[in-house]
Amino acid sequence: MAKKATLLSVYQLLPQTNCGKCNEITCMTFASKLLERRATIEECPPMTEAQYKSQAVKLRELVAPPIREIVLGSGERSVKIGGKEVVYRHELTLHNPTAIAIDVSDKMDDTTIVARCRFVECFQFTRIGQKLSLDAMAVRFASGNAERFAQAAALVAKSSSLPLILCSLDPEALRLAIEQKDVLNRRPLLYAATKDNWREVGQLAMQYNCPVAVFAPDDLKNMKSLVRTLRAMGLEDIVLDPGFFPEGGRMKDSIERLVMIRRAAVNRDDKDFAYPILVTPAVAWMGDNVDERAAAYKESYLASLVITRFADAMILHSTDTWAILPVITLRQGAYTDPRKPVAVEAGLREIGKPNEKAPVLLTTNFALTYYTVSNDIESQGVTCYLLVLNTEGLSVESSVAGGQFTAAGVKDLIGSSKVESKVAHRKLIIPGMAARLSGEIEDLAKWEVIVGPRDSSEIKEFLERRSEVVQT
Amino acid sequence: MSDKVCAPDELRDEISPAPELKFPMEIGEMYEGQRIRRPEMYVEFGGVDVPKKFELVLVKEMEEVEDGKVEVLGPDLPELSVGGAYPLGILIQVAGKKLDKDIEGVLERRVHYFSNYIEGIMHVNQRTDVWVRIGRKAYDKGLNTLKWVGRALAMLFRRSLPIIEKIQVTFITDPTKLEEYYQKAVEVYKTRDARARGLMEEQVDEFYSCVLCQSFAPTHVCIITPNRMGGCGSISWFDARASSNVDPKGPNFPVKKGECLDPIKGVYTGVDDVVKERSLGAIQHISLHTIFGHPHTSCGCFESIAYFIPEVEGIGIVHRDFKGPTVNGLTFSTMAGHTSGGTQNEGFLGIAIEYMRSSKFLQADGGWSRIAWMPSQVKERVRDAIPPDMFDLIATENDAKTVGELKEFLKAKNHPVVQRWKEAPKEEAAPPKEEEPAAFGVPMIPEGLEIPAAAGGFKIILRNARIVADKVIIKRAEKE
Amino acid sequence: MAESDKVSEKKGESDLEGALARRLLKLAEKFGEIELDNVTMTVDELTFLLQPAITRLQRPITRGELVAAKPVEKLLEVEFAPPVETYPAQMAEVQLGATRNEGGTRGRAVKVGGAKALPFYGFEAVNPNRPAFAMDVFDMPIHLAKAVRQHFEDVMGDPAAWARKCAHEFGADIVSLNLVSTDPGIKNTSPEDAAKTVEAVLHAVDVPVVVGGSGNKQKDPLVLEKAAEVAHGEKCLLNSVSTDTDYKRVVNAALEHGHSVVAFTPMDINNQKKLNRLLLGEGLPKTQLVMDPTTGALGYGIEYSLSLLERIRLGALLGDTELQMPVLSAASNAWGAREAWMKTEEWGPKEFRGPLWETVTGLTMLMSGADLFMVSHPATVRVLKQITENLNGLGEAKYTVENWVAALG
Repeated sequence: MAKKATLLSVYQLLPQTNCGKCNEITCMTFASKLLERRATIEECPPMTEAQYKSQAVKLRELVAPPIREIVLGSGERSVKIGGKEVVYRHELTLHNPTAIAIDVSDKMDDTTIVARCRFVECFQFTRIGQKLSLDAMAVRFASGNAERFAQAAALVAKSSSLPLILCSLDPEALRLAIEQKDVLNRRPLLYAATKDNWREVGQLAMQYNCPVAVFAPDDLKNMKSLVRTLRAMGLEDIVLDPGFFPEGGRMKDSIERLVMIRRAAVNRDDKDFAYPILVTPAVAWMGDNVDERAAAYKESYLASLVITRFADAMILHSTDTWAILPVITLRQGAYTDPRKPVAVEAGLREIGKPNEKAPVLLTTNFALTYYTVSNDIESQGVTCYLLVLNTEGLSVESSVAGGQFTAAGVKDLIGSSKVESKVAHRKLIIPGMAARLSGEIEDLAKWEVIVGPRDSSEIKEFLERRSEVVQT
Repeated sequence: MSDKVCAPDELRDEISPAPELKFPMEIGEMYEGQRIRRPEMYVEFGGVDVPKKFELVLVKEMEEVEDGKVEVLGPDLPELSVGGAYPLGILIQVAGKKLDKDIEGVLERRVHYFSNYIEGIMHVNQRTDVWVRIGRKAYDKGLNTLKWVGRALAMLFRRSLPIIEKIQVTFITDPTKLEEYYQKAVEVYKTRDARARGLMEEQVDEFYSCVLCQSFAPTHVCIITPNRMGGCGSISWFDARASSNVDPKGPNFPVKKGECLDPIKGVYTGVDDVVKERSLGAIQHISLHTIFGHPHTSCGCFESIAYFIPEVEGIGIVHRDFKGPTVNGLTFSTMAGHTSGGTQNEGFLGIAIEYMRSSKFLQADGGWSRIAWMPSQVKERVRDAIPPDMFDLIATENDAKTVGELKEFLKAKNHPVVQRWKEAPKEEAAPPKEEEPAAFGVPMIPEGLEIPAAAGGFKIILRNARIVADKVIIKRAEKE
Repeated sequence: MAESDKVSEKKGESDLEGALARRLLKLAEKFGEIELDNVTMTVDELTFLLQPAITRLQRPITRGELVAAKPVEKLLEVEFAPPVETYPAQMAEVQLGATRNEGGTRGRAVKVGGAKALPFYGFEAVNPNRPAFAMDVFDMPIHLAKAVRQHFEDVMGDPAAWARKCAHEFGADIVSLNLVSTDPGIKNTSPEDAAKTVEAVLHAVDVPVVVGGSGNKQKDPLVLEKAAEVAHGEKCLLNSVSTDTDYKRVVNAALEHGHSVVAFTPMDINNQKKLNRLLLGEGLPKTQLVMDPTTGALGYGIEYSLSLLERIRLGALLGDTELQMPVLSAASNAWGAREAWMKTEEWGPKEFRGPLWETVTGLTMLMSGADLFMVSHPATVRVLKQITENLNGLGEAKYTVENWVAALG
């Protein structure tokens, strides 16, 4: 396995002069930013000088993730794919969420094409405070008429600002499409080079400086050969599609190939596989007399499957929200940094329609805690106010032990949430695991504190059992 | 010291006491944070107005302990005046085949937690600072003798620590008797502390390991020796030993030292074996007392970080509470991000503050003579551990805020690290050498897309100008 | 703040670094932004230096003929061998259900676990057992999402009939009987009466049976103990024990009557290892222990479960003996997610959303290493079973994808 970059090993390859030209105080600080992927080597001007040339090369290699990072598209909607540092999420985190492209066929009429572009461009879903969107358009050559393909590509480029994937195994069609104004500026991904057209497509990619996909559904040896050849031609931005078989026993091959590619790149330093992977769940729509809902359903779960099998980008066909929702939800989850807890917004929530006599419960802003508690009390039919304390996204137990759950914090929360204007009483029910702080909270917040159950599933029963204490 | 003791699982819900005993008060974790305020109290023991008070746990021989005996030497609760403050000594004597004197401190800390589980009791501090309040309500409900407290403590200790086979509780409230016991207690504390501070790795056969943090850092295996406690600051070698005896299936277990390959760095074959096994092969080899080479891994909950400051060939320290950048420009949390996760990060190490008191504190790197900078708060806190001749040589945030200032400071004070500046550059850095060109042609424009858009910029020069503006706004450019 | 001043001349060059400027900059630093109204500047020479920050160019540089591809004659030859990992250990195997010659009355037994590699890494090792799918049955009518309820409306009052439907009509490998009525807060059914339901279900189907309590920590051990008794010899799975229940009672019952036990922990690997240790310490063999580290629903913590299962599988194969038990995933937790049952225009029809939510939850757990599943919806069972077949190399395909770009139409 390649040597891992650490603060010190990165620092040692920098000029170590603390010149400040990068706007950081010391080279050490810059090294830290570099490691966190918040700076690039170019932002250290001395590193571009001749005397640091070999160091720059070494440093570039040291900090480069094992999987190449490629930028698709340009401008505000450009998106990065690849750039993974590890195989499994728990080893660090996964960078660059799977880019989702929706396809148009050049057989569709212009109105349909434009409508699909608008849909993808404007699609936005907010979940746990994050905006989830779709990322690219894939234009497929299905008409047989290369000019029509070029037209369609140009139309897509005009109708949206999204990155483009030009899908055609015919190099001529690709050429016509790239040469369209607006298309070239978008630096489209050329899909794809195969064992039959690699020379032409490779040259095209070099000439127009576009990333190029390699489509090799027969086997990985052929894929490796293709990639090695393209690299020899001078290409660096390569995307791998080992073929996706959505049904039957060949699905085994598809999925195993994804694993082998990723493992070979990260664990075996195989440079021919050190590239982002593109998967095409859209193939779920293939066949005659396709039932639309069945196809969308299938595409949705297959897309979800490959999110956990190293897909860095995917092409989908369905524009049904219900089918897209599970995919983007899983993507969101899979790409959260396991080192950072997921938090919801702190503040006051109303469960049911609470009045001034309703009980006031307290919990933390760790997403899992919050959802468990709120789901439990909602499904139990409890009506109450729920105060959500900012514990930096930690659970009750962790934050009490770690000091993020404080009496002072509770006091501030009571103040900022203005709950005192909502209820006539001054009784606060705290989670059982925060019992330790009951007295302190009482002293600071001047509310009476009642220690509640340790498990939110017991809240309803607790409120009923302890009604004399809780009653306001 | 440790605030991270968890109650045993049996205490999760309210305890129903043994059938023979019906306690007049409730006992459970929910009462842990309960405060008894002055107007609510019946009496208090200890506190600022009472000069002598103590609490002590002693491990005795089996014959010396009368199991279940609870006695009060001196006046009991009904004989005391409401609202008064009185002296108190709490003496708990335990016996058991697996108990030894080293576990006394660990058991003693539990008196605090167990006392607080009792409804109507508030317990604060420990040793000769102990302070206890009994609530009026609880007294009226039936908690009208210290014997109930004793019985509750006995039950709680026995329940949670089955290795205690016999337990006896004595409350001393008679001032004369208290004086006698007090002196003895102080002696015990002194001996204990001396032993704790004096015990060396060479003197024991086993270290202990802690894998409590593996939930967060799967490859992190903490090795705890008499000279190195866990980065979290919660677990000393004595604590780990006690825990390992109490709960052999728990997170702490013994680690045979094996052969000592390097006493200065702290390299032991037994340690490496355990680390290799418990990290499932991810970490092969660690050294206990250095930040270089193969340092000990860090999880995420360490109290402070020791970090290499290359510009001065020295080591800096920063603790969790320190806000803002340290002398190298990085904050605690930024460095923590690079130090944590169970990885070996040469030059950066998560450590407990108590480790700075260790006689083997970073001894392979030079110990205190290598420490160049630390926050003033920590410096005060471990003042007694810093060699007097080094104390003024170590810079704090008040002496140096940048590496440049630090260099000046160290030079002026003639800090030992200055010697290293005269030597060959950077002991760890390899000299850069020419690389062969890449196997395939490098494209003419590096990195394709990431090109400085305009190197140098341009000037606009106005001559003989009169500029009139309704408004001129000068704004700080926002960083992305 | 209004000021009007004249910029002072200095050395023939208007001096933005002069006193005024310094003062302005200091104020700007302090306040972040300052405004000057009605400003008049008279200058001899004023120089603006514009130095743009380094930006990332998105526009490609057209190289045209300047940089042609390096000439390559033909496809380069390469060698490729699948990157196989070998592991020192494997997962334990648990058998559920005993046939007649084994002392039970099941038509067939189901084995779970035994994995020698990561899930569906078939190029590395083929796992001897397929993942098994249990469908949920309840001992009383309960509130279920419509998408599920519609399939079981006719059998809700009769657990035996419900179980039959799951096994015969929907292809469940196993039936998971949840004795929710034993909850003191619901019907407080006695362990004896609950055991009668267990018997009825055992008679109704010939697939293995999982027996679950209500989740009440005090009651469950008693219920499971009684159930174990009446199910003697059937190799059921007692669901579940945790660190704060009377696990000793359940383990003893399991040992006496030949059942396996589910060790349930809330998404904490150390807790799981501890519980496993405790149970093994009570004499329960590895082959009678199944782990449930909790399945977070899609969107509600699924990633924790995903990583947890991957860690468990990897740890187990690398030799951690405390993690080598098969894993259970309650994918039906997905129905707790709002997205699975709530009627909302914005999200599309819930008839598809619900089963899809459970399917994706289950599928994610399948790919992370779960061996045994609890699911509620028939479509989930069908899809997950099919995918398992396909991932094992079985099944026909109606078409091929080499020409997908055009063939998709």
